[in-house]
Amino acid sequence: MSGRSTEELIAALASEAKPVKPLAPPLKRALATLAMLAALAAAAILLLSDWSLLLVRYAGREHFMLLEIAATLATGALAVTGAFFLSIPGRSKRWLLAPIIPFVAWLTLSGLGCYHDLIVNGRSGWQLGPSLECLLFIIAASLVLSLPLVWRVSRARPVDPVPVALLTGLGAAAFSAFLLQFFHPFAVTFLDLAVHLAGILMVVAAMALLNRRALAPA
Amino acid sequence: MEEHLTKAGGHDTQERWGKLLVAAQAGDAAAYGLFLRSITPFVRAMARRRSWSEDAIEDVVQDVLLTVHRVRHTYEPGRPVKPWLAAIAARRSIDALRKRGRVTRQEIHHPGAYETFADPDANNPGAAASAAALEPMLAMLTPAQKEALELVKLREMSLVEASAASGQSIASLKVNIHRAMKKLRLRVGKDPAE
Repeated sequence: MSGRSTEELIAALASEAKPVKPLAPPLKRALATLAMLAALAAAAILLLSDWSLLLVRYAGREHFMLLEIAATLATGALAVTGAFFLSIPGRSKRWLLAPIIPFVAWLTLSGLGCYHDLIVNGRSGWQLGPSLECLLFIIAASLVLSLPLVWRVSRARPVDPVPVALLTGLGAAAFSAFLLQFFHPFAVTFLDLAVHLAGILMVVAAMALLNRRALAPA
Repeated sequence: MEEHLTKAGGHDTQERWGKLLVAAQAGDAAAYGLFLRSITPFVRAMARRRSWSEDAIEDVVQDVLLTVHRVRHTYEPGRPVKPWLAAIAARRSIDALRKRGRVTRQEIHHPGAYETFADPDANNPGAAASAAALEPMLAMLTPAQKEALELVKLREMSLVEASAASGQSIASLKVNIHRAMKKLRLRVGKDPAE
């Protein structure tokens, strides 16, 4: 570091003591951001998606569809909330674990859905649908959703940006997967699910790498 | 003092830190200076747990203070200051350890490293040893001889310039350089004709 003494540094910092507005509590900021994302998602679903396709796909299994959607949304909501908490120094690291249970539930329910299709459709249940499109959808939607998320989270200038970036990535990927449900005109096979998962992992890894810099204090 | 502040019992201290930090957030420079000064022993004690030298500890302390300055808006008034501050100090100490790990993994210390020049002929690994050997020899010279030798032989000044710089006449410079060279040659044990 520079050759100046700690006392000189303190004097310099104190002389720069401009008023700063304390950030609102992380839960409040997380809820405001989730509300913003919900509005974005609702607009996209109402304007661009075809509800009837979703209902046809889950015909007779509506409760299953609701559970799967709930698990996906819970993963996204807990990941985003955790990112806001972890961006503040000294908050519990347990937030990193918060989305694990809904994430596992979401993957399990998706897997069960695939199994159901396998029984109904036989061998075709193993085929690969237009998965490249799904992969691109998850990546593109994650990018769009990440922008407001990173903008909001980065206001805290996280001291330890990696866990924050991981949770932000998981949140964006989960919400993208939720949106994908409304733009997915075919039954999901195991291979499709693997591609979805690969898309999610790609988004989480990319966010962790990119956001580590974007979120790091200057 | 440091020990006292790192103990869990410093409730009053935390309350005082909280008040000072809230005042600092409002732009009170005096309160901010006082806050930074009062947390420094605590930060230093935390840095000492993970550090390897006094210099490194002071670097970490300054890094923590700079970080506190950048993220002071993340302190939520009314909450305890110590966990907030301890998280920043721990993070910066770990960053310093990692940085040190990266440097020591990729760099080794070599005494001749600083004597490396672009021209390969100019590299002389024995130069440092020669300089060390020369020092006791120079101690044998009178101050006037040493000055004359330095100005004319080492700084490569002309006799006129050296005379102006030292105040010695050109004749005494010549005599002093001659005597100095003779003494050095005798000490090295070499023939003056060499």
